[in-house]
Amino acid sequence: MAGNAEVAAFLAGAALAHLVLVEAARQLPQALWRERLALIAAEVCVAMTGRREGQGALRDAVHLTRPGDDPGPSGRVLQQWLHAAGRPISVVGLGRAVDGVATDSVALCLDVVGPTPVERAAQVIEVVLEGTPRAETEALILADAVLSKSLGWKHALPLLSLALKPRDLRLRGGELRLACHRAVVLGAGQAVPLAADLSRRAVRLQAVAPRLRARGAARAVLLFLSRDALAPSALNFMSDRAARRLCDRLVDLGAIRELTGRDSFRLYGL
Amino acid sequence: MKKAGTETALDHELADLPPDLRWREWMRRIEAVLFASAAPVARDDLARVVGPGVSVDLLIEDLMVDLAGRPYQVARVGAGWVLRTLPAYAPVIRAAADIGGQVLNLSEFDLAVLAAIAYHQPISRDGLKEIFGREISRDMIGRLAERDLIGTGPREPRRGAPYTFVTTEIFLAAFGMQSLRDLPDPELLLDSGMTHT
Repeated sequence: MAGNAEVAAFLAGAALAHLVLVEAARQLPQALWRERLALIAAEVCVAMTGRREGQGALRDAVHLTRPGDDPGPSGRVLQQWLHAAGRPISVVGLGRAVDGVATDSVALCLDVVGPTPVERAAQVIEVVLEGTPRAETEALILADAVLSKSLGWKHALPLLSLALKPRDLRLRGGELRLACHRAVVLGAGQAVPLAADLSRRAVRLQAVAPRLRARGAARAVLLFLSRDALAPSALNFMSDRAARRLCDRLVDLGAIRELTGRDSFRLYGL
Repeated sequence: MKKAGTETALDHELADLPPDLRWREWMRRIEAVLFASAAPVARDDLARVVGPGVSVDLLIEDLMVDLAGRPYQVARVGAGWVLRTLPAYAPVIRAAADIGGQVLNLSEFDLAVLAAIAYHQPISRDGLKEIFGREISRDMIGRLAERDLIGTGPREPRRGAPYTFVTTEIFLAAFGMQSLRDLPDPELLLDSGMTHT
């Protein structure tokens, strides 16, 4: 009879095997999927620092900060996650996302050896928190990056971080590995339905795309397929008025949603 | 300030020194930069005075060991480091001169507003008005911003898009904190009767 640890490891392996197929599906808007999971991961990490901002507030913090201004402690966490999930995994790229961790430690983390992807990720959490106990966000970003890299993906997919609890991060060795195996199953449980949902929405958006006659509409559609949320002003290749009209039209067509529920400072996304 | 042109003359590699002396010189450079700066210095800036690819973190670690027994130490602040006297020497420094007061020179109410910003950031002047029950003047915000204790955060999503304010790394350094998580727990403050409600 297999023990808890064996069962958890087996289930995590099954979840990852399924996730690898989901990730490779042609219809999936991968970059958008990663950004939206990054938003969930950021919410988890922000809560670990004792703050309570929800996903809407985090989105606002990032979208309403002018260049050169500071998105604040919680907005910064989302920026870190978007940075990590938006660029191919590399020492330099991740180094910028986790700027409290030395570059050589990032390199060591990425080269960590271990029998399975999840065990490597668990080791990374342990190593990072050993040196800097309050760097939970950085530890989770690096752990998910290592997990993704071990699965042969070019980009970091927020996964473990969707489900690890603050008390899990205080565990070490076998107990931490067990928590990570369970978190992979729970994380995949969020990532897989989200992938299905976003794939359906992407198909819908692509279906209405030929009916859009505004200049720049094709570029806008591509952006919506790759970003969690966009203010109309982000469609800076169109006039402000045209961008707003296009967003409204896409909402009317049921291809995108307005995400804030506000009348002004609106954000749109799939 | 040196001109940009003279920076290229800085010998990073120190190839003519034996390895141990080279390491020592890099440590001294980092100590000199930290000594000269009132604000925390980021890793990238420190990396500019040592050999390419040399670990700033290891140099700082050795410097910390080196400074053991001195009345000051290297402290981590946010993503950088700062040289700071040991807390045990605070009364001594105060006895000699009121240096702490001179650095900030803020009224009690200024400090209360600063604390409110620290706990509730990002927060706008309207948000502060709600907390204090009175208008928070632009002058007061200006005094805090002038000292680099606060900066501008995201705009609020409503009419006029007012700015919010957030604390800076200099704020952390000034109050001896490594991150905002070092802020005292407000509930504990209430329990110990340190705040009036």
